[in-house]
Amino acid sequence: MASVTLADVQFIERGPALVARLTGEIDLSNSEALGTAITETTPKHMEAVILDLGGVDYLDSAGIRLIYRLREQLRGRGQILSLVIPADSPAYDALRFAGVDRHIDMAETTEQALSELDRTSAFGALDPGEGQL
Amino acid sequence: MLDDASANRRQVEPRVGQVILTLTTTDLEPSVQVRSLHRLSDPALSELGLDEFLDELLVRVHDALAVDTVAILLLDRESQELVARAAKGIEEEVERGVRIPIGKGFAGRIASEREAIFIADVDHADILNPILREKGISSLLGVPLIVEGDLIGVLHVGSLTPRAFGERDLAVLQVAAARAAPGIERARLFSAHEHEHDIAIALQRSLLPKGLTSVAGVTAAARYLPASDEVGGDWYDIFALERGRVGVAIGDVVGHGVGAAALMGQLRTALHAYALEGHGPGRTLELVDRFVQALPGFAMATAAYAVIDPGSRVFRVASAGHLPPLLFGGELDRIVEFPSSAPLGAFPYGSCPEHELILATGETVVLYTDGLVERPRTPLMTSIAQLLEDIRPASSPEDACQLAFERMVPLDAVRDDAAMIAIWIDEVPSELSMRLPAEPQVLAGARTAMRRWLRHHDVGDLTAADITLAVGEACTNAIEHAYSPGAAEFTLEASTDDGVVTIAVRDRGGWRAPRGLDRGRGLTIMRAVMDEVQINRNAGGTEIIMHRRWRA
Repeated sequence: MASVTLADVQFIERGPALVARLTGEIDLSNSEALGTAITETTPKHMEAVILDLGGVDYLDSAGIRLIYRLREQLRGRGQILSLVIPADSPAYDALRFAGVDRHIDMAETTEQALSELDRTSAFGALDPGEGQL
Repeated sequence: MLDDASANRRQVEPRVGQVILTLTTTDLEPSVQVRSLHRLSDPALSELGLDEFLDELLVRVHDALAVDTVAILLLDRESQELVARAAKGIEEEVERGVRIPIGKGFAGRIASEREAIFIADVDHADILNPILREKGISSLLGVPLIVEGDLIGVLHVGSLTPRAFGERDLAVLQVAAARAAPGIERARLFSAHEHEHDIAIALQRSLLPKGLTSVAGVTAAARYLPASDEVGGDWYDIFALERGRVGVAIGDVVGHGVGAAALMGQLRTALHAYALEGHGPGRTLELVDRFVQALPGFAMATAAYAVIDPGSRVFRVASAGHLPPLLFGGELDRIVEFPSSAPLGAFPYGSCPEHELILATGETVVLYTDGLVERPRTPLMTSIAQLLEDIRPASSPEDACQLAFERMVPLDAVRDDAAMIAIWIDEVPSELSMRLPAEPQVLAGARTAMRRWLRHHDVGDLTAADITLAVGEACTNAIEHAYSPGAAEFTLEASTDDGVVTIAVRDRGGWRAPRGLDRGRGLTIMRAVMDEVQINRNAGGTEIIMHRRWRA
């Protein structure tokens, strides 16, 4: 059983993207369950998932594995994974120590991730102000 | 002898085959059997539970009248039905849970008319209950059971052969009914009360937390003792919060019985839920107060809630009209007095101040309810001071609970329910040594212990976070290796010498070479954050030894 009180995930639909905001600690005990929750929750019609790790206090290689696996699974469904990882966050440190920070595109904030998705626009005009459901 | 012609009729019209009887003489010769009926009002019988009492009544009536069947139906006030409760010779009545509406059939008419009814020939009478015919009962005689003017049920006897019940039979049955009815009512009330008490205790117990010791970084002990006559609404709770902190709550709902126990369950759940949201003690109690205000009807409770951070040793507490915590085992044993808000549910929009103190090593905090301290003719503060005095010699939280309940509770008559929870922060050892099952669920606890240990040794926050990350990776590695059959374990050790932290994680699993990018990342992270990482593998298992300088 996953340690459900260790971390939490909140979902907010922003237009054609689903923002998944993680908080708490991510390790081997809950990373798989969190990944499943995110893929299960993402509707088929969503073009992207924005994974916000800014509120995460602890993340290790199990969390990095979650990111890679999630990206693979979403790609298989024709969906993009976009990451929000502020430079001063524990999640950023873990990625840096693992040497994968240069291989992963990440935004500082959810708004930045949204506007970048908009710019690269596989999904046309997006109004972040109106998209919130 | 009674028959249709000689029956003493009243205005009430009997149904087909029924004869309404009124006793004209009570001239009974005092046989042994009749004397046994008189003794149904014997106080000793009132000690019996309802079932035992009814069984006794059945036997005595059966013997006194030499009948084939005896049945007792009791009134269900809510549905206004007679419910078969005890029977001899027609046990099916009870087994099938026969219910007869007032006014209907034989027993129903006895109840509505409050008169005895005789049926000479069941085959030709207005009978509702098919069991009476199935059993082949030929004649019936029944009387109402009345206590202080209230009908509580019906007692009837039957004969398998045609029998004309006479005045003597009726008189005997009347005596039995008159003598037994108050006893039945008393036993019924007693049973109902016992039943409610049992339910309330079961409810209470089911709502109290199990597994107090599972929260890392602290040791806690608790007791709950229900009142001897009526259960109350005391509760306690302890739970893990994020970042290794621990929540401890205690409360006391105003009132008694099942209602109080149920409200306790609601409040305990509400408090736990708000606390998990990350609110501090003051805000948590304010939110529970709003919750109580929103409940329909009267609801009030006192409660105290504290958050303990084993790392910083900060104890932060708030109280809504609850008794002050006790502190002992440190420099100054004392009653921790601080401003409290009004009880939960007392006034709208109450605000709840917080009080903060640092817990010394070995210092125990005690939260308790008034059942533990309230004594007749003793000022409350005197009893609280006495409680503190009584538990001071305790060597552990468990010991404190033991002493408090031994010395404070007069076991013969617990007037109010009593609850207590005692807790201390576990001492941080100079060298950390943990043996853990190789399961992912232990990782969070291992990190919490690690952070506490690092903090205790004054390792800076950033360095501590790095070392904790490396320890997390090493433990994850040990857990993923654990594929040997049986319950696998691993050990985590930490020591510091001359400004260098040394970590050792050992497992008994075989080393598996990193597969793909995924598997190698943990090792990369360990090497990035530690000054030195050694991995030793052999047939016995794998050990990871890491060093990190944290002070020049």
